[in-house]
Amino acid sequence: MSDVFDVTMLALLIATAVAVARARDLLAAVVLFSIYGLTMTLVWQHRGAPDVAMTEAAVGAGVTTVLFFITIARTTRREKR
Amino acid sequence: MRGWAWLLALAVALPLVVGVAGLPPHDAPDAPIHTHVGARYLERGVEETGMKNLVTAVLLNYRGFDTFIEVVVIFTALAAVLALPRGAVRPASRRRTEDGRGTGDPGAADPDAPAGANAGRLADVDGEVPVSPVVGFVVRLLAPFMALFAIAMLFRGHVTPGGGFQAAAVFAAIFIALGLVMGRARVGRLVSGRAQPWLQAAGPLAFAAVAWAGWRLTGHFLGYPMHDHTAQEAMALVLEVAIGVGGGVILARLFLSMET
Repeated sequence: MSDVFDVTMLALLIATAVAVARARDLLAAVVLFSIYGLTMTLVWQHRGAPDVAMTEAAVGAGVTTVLFFITIARTTRREKR
Repeated sequence: MRGWAWLLALAVALPLVVGVAGLPPHDAPDAPIHTHVGARYLERGVEETGMKNLVTAVLLNYRGFDTFIEVVVIFTALAAVLALPRGAVRPASRRRTEDGRGTGDPGAADPDAPAGANAGRLADVDGEVPVSPVVGFVVRLLAPFMALFAIAMLFRGHVTPGGGFQAAAVFAAIFIALGLVMGRARVGRLVSGRAQPWLQAAGPLAFAAVAWAGWRLTGHFLGYPMHDHTAQEAMALVLEVAIGVGGGVILARLFLSMET
């Protein structure tokens, strides 16, 4: 059971990581990165590290996302080819 | 070029995968992390540090130096950001349209340029586009509860998961959420200008003070008096509060000092 959870989460992590790298729409990339952060939170919690999980949720999924949003607001939303 | 990129990615990923595959199983009792200093921390941590949450015990006590430097790193990052001259990294297209405003130069106010530059931009968060009343209401409603949660994490960090760094992130999240709803200028004024540098430097200053106190008490820099649990708790509390408040102010300042 535990393995199923781990494998699912890790697959999701890899999928979101690849999607972030491939996304041309930077807004979508930031949202995907936030999903990555939240998935990582679940993995930390499941591995018995609630302290790290809290930090990951607040910084990885929260603060970083907002900072990226502002950066996009200041620059452009589309990645140049 | 793409082929090389894939090759490079593989060259980095393969050793990582092999390395991770070589790690001992998660709960193996003879794994190095359980037999090295970790075993001693688990065995005697509560007795030696007076903290039931051993993560906090390691962060503030056994590995106090690391945390000291960590706090300095965060402070230095903010100092570096604040040292940047204002507008130094503004995109060229925006600088032109903004500087052209009000100069009476018809050539600078090119009607196509702002439209093109704004096509992919988000709505400006500083009041130019009104925030949805639902979002505004929910953020205002949640803010006090978030503050309560952060304070609880701060003061229970030695017993339950959490502590200064986590509380700092939540404190900053409150400021950031309110800044998005109320406008960043208003949130920036919540903390007086004169208090700000002291709050931003709270982490390093508190660590220096506690390190000095530890030196007076035990003869070691950042030493904790091992059997005086009251003194230990007081030192840890000072550090937790300073990390929480200082870290929160630093993260929030990073957000507030970003121009849109």
